[in-house]
Amino acid sequence: MRLPFSVDIRPGRPLHDQVVFAVTKAVVTGQLAAGDAFPSVRALSQELRINPNTAQKIVGTLIERGLLEPRPGIGTVVAAWQPAANPARRASLASQIDRLAVEARQLGMTLSDLLDAIRRAWK
Amino acid sequence: MDTVIDVTDLTCRYQQVEAVTGISFTVAEGTVFALLGPNGAGKTTTIRALMNIIRPSSGEARVLGVDSRRLGRSELEAIGYVSENQQMPRWMTLADLLAYCRPFYPTWDDTLCRKLVDDFRLPLDQKIGRMSRGMRVKAALVSALAYRPLLLVLDEPFSGLDPVVRDDLIHGMLERAGEERWSVLISSHDLEEVERLVDAVAFLDSGRIVLSEPMTTLQGRFRQVEVTESGPGPALGLEESWIGATQTGRVLRFIDTAYSGPASDDRMAAKFSGARIEVQPMSLRQIFIALVRHRRGQGQESVQ
Repeated sequence: MRLPFSVDIRPGRPLHDQVVFAVTKAVVTGQLAAGDAFPSVRALSQELRINPNTAQKIVGTLIERGLLEPRPGIGTVVAAWQPAANPARRASLASQIDRLAVEARQLGMTLSDLLDAIRRAWK
Repeated sequence: MDTVIDVTDLTCRYQQVEAVTGISFTVAEGTVFALLGPNGAGKTTTIRALMNIIRPSSGEARVLGVDSRRLGRSELEAIGYVSENQQMPRWMTLADLLAYCRPFYPTWDDTLCRKLVDDFRLPLDQKIGRMSRGMRVKAALVSALAYRPLLLVLDEPFSGLDPVVRDDLIHGMLERAGEERWSVLISSHDLEEVERLVDAVAFLDSGRIVLSEPMTTLQGRFRQVEVTESGPGPALGLEESWIGATQTGRVLRFIDTAYSGPASDDRMAAKFSGARIEVQPMSLRQIFIALVRHRRGQGQESVQ
């Protein structure tokens, strides 16, 4: 079985965060649509060759963030998600944007270079 | 959470040589635990003591709640053990082997057994002696998984196997992922393979435990740091938790073993004001190499 989202796992960074990010990206970009079946913990673990407890936590986090929804007797499906109103995560994003802007300037990028790069990532 | 393996101050001596010296670690139920270390570190000795193949010289290892020296039939029925140098009856076909193993295990599951044989693309009518090493390890894993053991013990399962076989083995081993009360102890020196699989690791070096902790805290606290000064080289004022420091020109590199996120970033920024500081997370392999180098350079204390 194949997974309905793609993820390129890099060593060194927490697996949980990498996979949660990949699924979130697939959901917000529409690669995964509301009602789509999401793999079981076992399928996730087997396909990604990852620790089962980590796979369990990944599903837990995605449910908690409203991106997945458990359906008793069926499994887990992609939720009809709403944009999250989460001030803490907004604040953290603002500081990441700050760093991004500084890093880009230090690398000699212009604002329009950076905006182009963001536009590409947005798709 | 219950522990499935509890090792306390275990020492194993072969004649004059101490293969393992006073090691302690625990494996929690429902987790995958890796025993890591270079060749000759004592991994196989530890596992053999756990499986009651050798007697510890002192200390104790409890497996599924029982002293390893008293492991009996009821415990062995709940343990699946696959070792690198497994002795297997070469004259038997795989079908013979599975039929031979089956009556020993009340929990033997024919459906699971067939699924594993299919997934591994193993020929049932082939003699074990005529199989490749990879096929033999797969066959051993089938015979160890088919009775759904509570504890799976794998001693260097991947060594000397090609990447596709390794990948198949990991897939097969995760067949029971998601079931509760399923625990795995795996020894390996292949760190890339193990990194994604484990909840916790113990590093063995020269028969001693260097560290034993959950992957999340281990990867959280180790960072590779590179400081590039804009002016002349920084005044060296290294903290105790920074190891393996080297300075090349204006670039100072070290490994922070007690990184704690923004607090650490702020402290480094204050210490090296005006410098460019890059902080990178580390793979299990990088952490392992850094620790072993540090120990070789510093004598043999443990790194906390």
